[in-house]
Amino acid sequence: MHIPDGYLGPVTCGFFYAVMLPIWAAASKIVKRTLQARHAPLLAIGAAFSFVIMMFNLPIPGGSTGHAVGAVLAAILLGPWAGCIAVTVALVVQALLFGDGGITAIGANCFNMAFVEVFAGYYLYRLISGSSPVTSGRRVIAAGIAGYTALNIAALSAAVMFGIQPLLHKTAGGQSLYCPYGLNVAIPMMLGGHLAVFGWIEAIVTALVVKYLQKHDPLLLETGGGAHDENHG
Amino acid sequence: MLRRNDFIERSLAGALSFLKEAVFSDACALDRGFLQSLDPRIKIITFVLFIIRVLFTRDIVILLFLYALCLALAYYSKINLGFFLKRTWVFIPLFSLFIVIPALFSFVTPGEVLVSFSISGLKLTITRPGLSGAVLFTARVATSVSFAVLLGITTRHFALLKALRVFGIPQIFVFTIGMCYRYIYFFMEIIEHTCLAVKSRSGAKIHYKRGQRIVAWNIAYLWARSYQLNEEVYLAMLSRGYSGEPAALDDFRVGTKDWLWLAGVLIWMSLSFH
Repeated sequence: MHIPDGYLGPVTCGFFYAVMLPIWAAASKIVKRTLQARHAPLLAIGAAFSFVIMMFNLPIPGGSTGHAVGAVLAAILLGPWAGCIAVTVALVVQALLFGDGGITAIGANCFNMAFVEVFAGYYLYRLISGSSPVTSGRRVIAAGIAGYTALNIAALSAAVMFGIQPLLHKTAGGQSLYCPYGLNVAIPMMLGGHLAVFGWIEAIVTALVVKYLQKHDPLLLETGGGAHDENHG
Repeated sequence: MLRRNDFIERSLAGALSFLKEAVFSDACALDRGFLQSLDPRIKIITFVLFIIRVLFTRDIVILLFLYALCLALAYYSKINLGFFLKRTWVFIPLFSLFIVIPALFSFVTPGEVLVSFSISGLKLTITRPGLSGAVLFTARVATSVSFAVLLGITTRHFALLKALRVFGIPQIFVFTIGMCYRYIYFFMEIIEHTCLAVKSRSGAKIHYKRGQRIVAWNIAYLWARSYQLNEEVYLAMLSRGYSGEPAALDDFRVGTKDWLWLAGVLIWMSLSFH
């Protein structure tokens, strides 16, 4: 899911930086307004948490393991706007310090994982949960469905970014300049793995973590770290 | 995202490799090489310019020149080239090389035929645009990754994150990024301890469903601890004078060498674009 440098052309990279700028500005404005002063470090802690979720390997049938992205979980725990900032910060740290995800593709990666996945996951979770109590089983199912669906929507978004490259950047001789595969290849390739494997990993991690928090500390799901309040009004 | 072998070992290895890489990067950043001597803000500007140039170019010669420049910079910054090549080619450029193979052939990239051959009766044709596109793609990815990695290992991580302010990034983001980086270390330590504890208590074989519950419990526990930590961190910030607005010390100094380097890069950039 982390798009490296060189896969997307300058037009796509520039476009998604331009799209993300107002989203980041809105996120920082909303979070600054709604986050209580005593919760200021929570953004950084949430970002570090988003970063390390990917370190946890989940066993899957057949003896393999995989890891979740954790963006929907961050959104459920922090709220969508704080979740957007937390995942953005985690992606920036990964790209700048560890070369994981491109520097020119930070806008595109943030659009997929810090915006599309976070917001789609959060609102799907809220929609399915309805007005059910915070400890209800419905919320566990909602978290699982939100995790699975949002990851696949984000994967589809990344696939479209890859797939439009041959349309945007090709020489007169037919030579591709960036990702060489069109939508007919990029979409099935990206969605195949995510629908079959990675989406389920995301769903299991998101649902089980919500289930454990319901059991041991339901308040953490209720308050959303103090950054939720604007969404509960 | 998909890996084999034991999930506890994998999680543990992930946490340990992060710590190892961070410590190694810091050690490289403290060496007395060329890039280490540059101001982090000037370095980040010039490296971003290099990566943007790599993104824009359609000329393989310019790409190869930039890749050679990157290797030369690594050499003069006292980076072991064997380590650097391994660190930059595994995994992204090799993966890119692998996925671009079908694009060599006429069924993906039609055009002037370079060579045709048959495998088990299946006729395959490599085309000129297919080959040149694949070479350009792989070289672009490898060069970009090399510049990004070189920036990361020749700059102290904390200084690199602080230097982001040069791009006008709001202080709240820079403050959050800096704090986040510190907490990543702390969380890695928790992961390491938790994994070792789970490993010592769980025996050799765990059913995958139980394994999934263990991992989810660990993530939930980590969040619960994170939330508790927030209160303590806030009190510690208050005791150090935090008044609601983050402030950062600006201890960077730009010298003549930095200006010369910046000027040289800018002149080359403008010449290469023409």
